[in-house]
Amino acid sequence: MSDAIDTSGAAANGFEPRITAFVCNWCTYTGADLAGTSRLHMASNVRIIRLPCTGRIDPLFIIKAFERGADGVIVSGCHPADCHYTTGNYHARRRFAVFHDIMEFIGVDPRRMTFSWVSASEGAKWRDVVNEAVTNVRALGPFDAYRALAPEDAGVATPAGPAAEVATPAATAKAEAS
Amino acid sequence: MNELRELARTLLTDGTVRVIIGWEAARRGARPVFVTDPADTDKLIFDTRCVHNLVTYLNPRRDNVAELGKIGLVVKGCDAKAVAGLLREAQLTRDDIVLIGVRCGGVLEEAELPEAVALSSENVAPRCYGCDNREPKLVDHLLGEAQPDPPRPIMTIDERVAALDARPLEERWAFWTEQFSKCVRCYACRQVCPLCVCERCVAEKSRPQWIESSAHPRGNMSWNITRALHLAGRCVDCGECERFCPVGIPLSLVNRKLQQIVAERYDYTVSDDPENPAPIGDYRLDDKQEFIK
Amino acid sequence: MSNAEATGTTHFISDDHLRSLTGDLLGAGTEVIAPVAVDVCASPSAIASSACLRPGVKPVDIEYRVLADATELDLSRGLPVLSLKQYFLPEYEALCGWREHGTEVEIEAVPTEFAPRVVLAAKPCDSAALAVVDKVMNWDYQDELWNGRREATTIVNLACPVIDESCFCTAVGTSPDDTKGADALLSPVEGGYLFEATTDKGRALVDAHAAYFTAEADSNGAEQRGRQAAEERAAARVRVAANLEIDAASVRDWIDTHFEDPLLAALGVRCNGCGACSSVCPTCHCFDIVDEEEGIGKGTRRRCWDTCQAPTFTLHASGHNPRDSQNPRYRQRINHKFSVYPLKFGEVLCTGCGRCTRVCHAGQDLVEILQAIDIAARRPEVAAT
Repeated sequence: MSDAIDTSGAAANGFEPRITAFVCNWCTYTGADLAGTSRLHMASNVRIIRLPCTGRIDPLFIIKAFERGADGVIVSGCHPADCHYTTGNYHARRRFAVFHDIMEFIGVDPRRMTFSWVSASEGAKWRDVVNEAVTNVRALGPFDAYRALAPEDAGVATPAGPAAEVATPAATAKAEAS
Repeated sequence: MNELRELARTLLTDGTVRVIIGWEAARRGARPVFVTDPADTDKLIFDTRCVHNLVTYLNPRRDNVAELGKIGLVVKGCDAKAVAGLLREAQLTRDDIVLIGVRCGGVLEEAELPEAVALSSENVAPRCYGCDNREPKLVDHLLGEAQPDPPRPIMTIDERVAALDARPLEERWAFWTEQFSKCVRCYACRQVCPLCVCERCVAEKSRPQWIESSAHPRGNMSWNITRALHLAGRCVDCGECERFCPVGIPLSLVNRKLQQIVAERYDYTVSDDPENPAPIGDYRLDDKQEFIK
Repeated sequence: MSNAEATGTTHFISDDHLRSLTGDLLGAGTEVIAPVAVDVCASPSAIASSACLRPGVKPVDIEYRVLADATELDLSRGLPVLSLKQYFLPEYEALCGWREHGTEVEIEAVPTEFAPRVVLAAKPCDSAALAVVDKVMNWDYQDELWNGRREATTIVNLACPVIDESCFCTAVGTSPDDTKGADALLSPVEGGYLFEATTDKGRALVDAHAAYFTAEADSNGAEQRGRQAAEERAAARVRVAANLEIDAASVRDWIDTHFEDPLLAALGVRCNGCGACSSVCPTCHCFDIVDEEEGIGKGTRRRCWDTCQAPTFTLHASGHNPRDSQNPRYRQRINHKFSVYPLKFGEVLCTGCGRCTRVCHAGQDLVEILQAIDIAARRPEVAAT
């Protein structure tokens, strides 16, 4: 497996995706740590959030990540039959299967969500999961669509002025949104 | 209908139940009725306007219904599935309720009519097509004559879901953001759903605030996805959420899609057998995981 | 009785001129809000609506919208799905923004002055509702956002022919041709409309677009038109009065003194607490306030519509909830609208538009409820049977 990071497209528009990873403590987090101690080269776009088990991961975490500007997410845990809590990942598997499918139905590109089983000894696999996720999401571009569904600022009212003031599309859109 | 009224009268008179919850005719159509006096049982009706899923009144949070006493509930097949859902989740004890099943041939989509009308492909509720529980099994009494299959609607819900699925991803996103931007966060969908029984809904949790409460499209998107997900494998397709929505969001499409997902992945369809466990909360060692690296 | 009779000048404006007036307002950059017929089947919603697949007449929703073009103006006098409330108290609106700098907090104020705008062809029940809510919005606190929008807006009512048996405006102190809360009234007549301005803003609208109006005082056929309008409006009033007649003062006092009466206490048994009634109601005005963070250290404080029918509406921080079942919550709705608010502000917090009854899919019927209370209040011997 190559250590090389695929940076194609990175220089072109300068966009670097922000990826949030929800990982289980016992397997993937340790595997990611192994990738670090092994000095494996991998993309640095990922912010890891450690949880005791994938079974703890609520789909709302992923929704929140997208709401707040994550361009992609990774969810990773122990292989089936290896869960530290015996059955947590089995529950997560069903929960995320349904979540993944319904998000695609709603219109969220499934390539923005990466699900994986990475064990504590699979540092190299973690590197590959990360690099592949970053490459995919970089190609897809920023995911502003979810975050932009809410108005950013407080100034939503039409400003005061004489009746002759022209209503620009932006002002009308803001006024409609208010 | 006489059969229903007589049974209701008997159950009330001999004290088996203290209240019968069924449907009555009112100025604007059929509506739920709570009969405590045997003399009032003549109000009870059952016709194509009786779309309401009365199981919502079994919600453990409804103190004002529980205080009326032991309930005799009139249920159609879809409603009985909701009772099974509550039993599966230990929200209800079977002995605490008397279930009066009615044989059903389908209901109207727009049911608020002064008189009942016969069903046709143009007026039937699309969710009735293909119903597998027109003679509910989870009941203490089963009334009425055998009914013919509901007519096929002009477009079934599966066809509507397929039409959406056939569109490119960006169009689906545009469709759903437009639909959810109409949402005013009245939570009618949640209030009327017989299976939304959480004492404290996640939408109301403020520390932390998981779901933004303002009715902007982003808060609405997160709310609507969460609502649907929390019903995965539990929704009985009674259609009440969509019917109650004051702004007309087509919730039946996302509910049906979730049913298709659990059917395809876990070979599961919701039934009125409470012994049949719900798919989420359950697992198999060989569950499909093609989407996992 | 229309206020116009007291203030004088009636004008005539033709259909074409009304649309030209609209066009002129839009051309000058003035926001115009009016009923628009929305083709439900043209939108992607069609995929879910059986009504769009049926042969024959397609469903049309009427909504108050900001006009993009004068041709959108719908004068069919159908009832818009939502009231005008959203244009004065939006479903969600920013109250301020904040930004933290260390231990200091910078507040970003929102504008409270708004560009002048016009509402055309408003339903009299919707405009009257604005005047009713003005009272609470100027009670112990002057609501600058509400008042700012009210001040900026000129409202022209269009006399209503009465929608159906769920309307009851005359029972609660208004009428299908009222101008309460509005600045002028349009009454349909042959070839156009009579226009009666009842406030300075209404008169200013005529003056600014004088070319489109002809004063009835100097006109041929004025008497005929006047009679036509008066007859139609009187007939509408009779039609709606037939739906419900109550003595609002007796109802108010009876509710005030019969809080524990079973008639009031059992009203909520069918209700699901969905709050659809509050969202479509032109006089319901309760709101929640939330702080929504955008990233670390900055965010927006917003208010958004709330409903007294929601289970957590009166949930205290201690965990106690004085209205913890639907019966007290529904009683509260009736109590507030028909007793508490009238006792406090002298206005019924309801203008009889009937939307709550039409939108309630659990069968709550306000005409039926008010009738029952009125009977209990005025004819207790009938109520007892």
